[in-house]
Amino acid sequence: MDYLYDGSFDGLLTSIYYSYYEQRAQGIYPEASYQFNMFTPSTVIQSDPVLAARVYDAIDRKISVYSLMQIYYVYLSNNTAKENLILKYLQLGFQLGPKIDSIHSHPEVLPIRQTAKKVSFEAERFLGLLRFTDTRSYLYSALEPDHNILILLADHFADRLAGERFIIHDKKRSLAIICNKKDWYLSDFSEEAAIPDSETEQLYQELWAKYFTRISIENRKNKKLQSHFIPQRYRHNLVEFRKSELL
Amino acid sequence: MSTLERLAVLADGAKYDVSCASSGVNKQNKGGIGNSKSFGICHTWSADGRCVSLLKLLLTNYCIYNCHYCINRNQNDIPRASFTPREVADLTIQFYRRNYIEGLFLSSGIERSPNHTMERIYQVLDILRHEYHFYGYIHVKVIPGADPALVNKTGLLADRMSINIEQPTEQSLKLLAPQKTLPVLFAPMNQINNQMTQNASERKIFRHVQKFVPAGQSTQMIVGASKDSDLSIIKATETLYNRFQLKRVYYSAYVPVNEGPNLPALSTSPPLLREHRLYQADWLLRFYSFKADEIVNEQSPFLDTDFDPKISWALRNMQLFPLEINQASYEELLRIPGVGVTSAQRIILQRRLGNISYNHLKKMGVVLKRAKYFITCQGCYYGGIPAESALVRQALAPVAKPVQLCLF
Ligand code: SF4
Repeated sequence: MDYLYDGSFDGLLTSIYYSYYEQRAQGIYPEASYQFNMFTPSTVIQSDPVLAARVYDAIDRKISVYSLMQIYYVYLSNNTAKENLILKYLQLGFQLGPKIDSIHSHPEVLPIRQTAKKVSFEAERFLGLLRFTDTRSYLYSALEPDHNILILLADHFADRLAGERFIIHDKKRSLAIICNKKDWYLSDFSEEAAIPDSETEQLYQELWAKYFTRISIENRKNKKLQSHFIPQRYRHNLVEFRKSELL
Repeated sequence: MSTLERLAVLADGAKYDVSCASSGVNKQNKGGIGNSKSFGICHTWSADGRCVSLLKLLLTNYCIYNCHYCINRNQNDIPRASFTPREVADLTIQFYRRNYIEGLFLSSGIERSPNHTMERIYQVLDILRHEYHFYGYIHVKVIPGADPALVNKTGLLADRMSINIEQPTEQSLKLLAPQKTLPVLFAPMNQINNQMTQNASERKIFRHVQKFVPAGQSTQMIVGASKDSDLSIIKATETLYNRFQLKRVYYSAYVPVNEGPNLPALSTSPPLLREHRLYQADWLLRFYSFKADEIVNEQSPFLDTDFDPKISWALRNMQLFPLEINQASYEELLRIPGVGVTSAQRIILQRRLGNISYNHLKKMGVVLKRAKYFITCQGCYYGGIPAESALVRQALAPVAKPVQLCLF
């Protein structure tokens, strides 16, 4: 039996609950992108916060917080097989308990570690690569990350820019973090914020682009290394690359 | 001059300084703007491939000194400019709000006198911390010869301070930076170190005592401007770590900017591979508990260019190998080429649950290409050739690649 869920973390955990207490799931898939086939029966799982919380607590108590975090990161990834990686990992986890955290090279564990690492790496990368534009009424930032990392950025910027209002917009997924002086929420969001570029905004963008070009040392030029750190696909949201025509 | 032009001039003068990493403190925003993350956030990478995390600036590039290797030395005829403390503070805040930077790294030429310059640096911090309530990261250069009281009050507002020693020996200092001497450079290092220790014990008793330079101090040495060997550099580094508890010693491959009888020719390219090897050696000092003497010695005072210093050491000490992965202590594991801190920790953890096989090792992050000549796994040796220095050396020798220098 394939389980189809609504794409939310709660939905995924609810599916895992049913897989344990009703019928074992062969696979779990997001309903929206599921390819029906004639031979595997499927059922839609209604996401249920109470059941989800039970699975959540069980992972926390019987396996570990670390595993819980890892699963959440994998859930945020763009890996198309992620639900099933998580399912298999938890099956092993409920057998082994916290020991699962030390068997890095196990075939059910390794893909989880690797995927979680990719997600946390991208999130950390965007702590640095995100750029705000000052629209005068709020700070606005647009990005197109590979993984669904917005939620992993929110606390960092809410603390850092405590006195400000800001929007961090994931254009790929039409989502945004909207923050009003410390309180933030995640929301559907599709408008490209119209940015009335103020004069000072232009000035600071120019200053930054100028600074960026001047800080590099000619005799040490190494474009290959630079591309290794900043892949092309991130560059068009970066002022310093846009303005210095290094795209 | 416009702000844009001055920024260009003053960024230019600061770019040879490498100690720009912002890691070292975790600090929350307490009702202002900004915080600091201990892991250090890179905000962009410049065309030379170096990470940009801080706004690295000179307050002024006027200088009364004449250090031979420095672009800003007094006798150079270059465009000069200064920022006011307020301008630097505003630039920092505006860049920070847009998430261009993680904080400020402020250095300066010595204008008029060490005290005059140090006082202005202090003013920048005063505006940032007290007026803008900025909790982000600030690293400032201490001006050698400045009044200890000034250094002290600046240290109460900065996260990190550094005094660049630039040259590893008194002789090369005399030759290249005639107005500086080791004692003058060591005095503030010593002061900061003492102050930090004292501050730490005071904070145990009185929680409200302000932190003094919580991210510690660092320094930088220029590599290749003088004739000093790697041995002198690594020895000096070890002394600096032991004597002043420095957080980091940075190395900067000398980029020839001036002509002079004691300097390499202008056409000399910066010794990037050498710089890279020194960072590897430094890493061995800080994280792998190597001693300077184990890395280089009087017989061979320069680091091997073909091999990283850990491999060189292992090749000189083949009698210690091969080590059994399932029995070696953590310290021993760390000495195996191809085994890093993370993989050594994973080995120790997983060993508690059962024996580790050769197949496991790769997945733990061990670089078997190198490690296989130095280990046995469950009693088996997988190197394929006898574990003898000459043979292993040959097997590990890098294939001549034209891109050697891109290593960094
Ligand atoms: S004191 Fe500093 S800025 Fe002045 S010449 Fe020497 S190294 Fe350059």
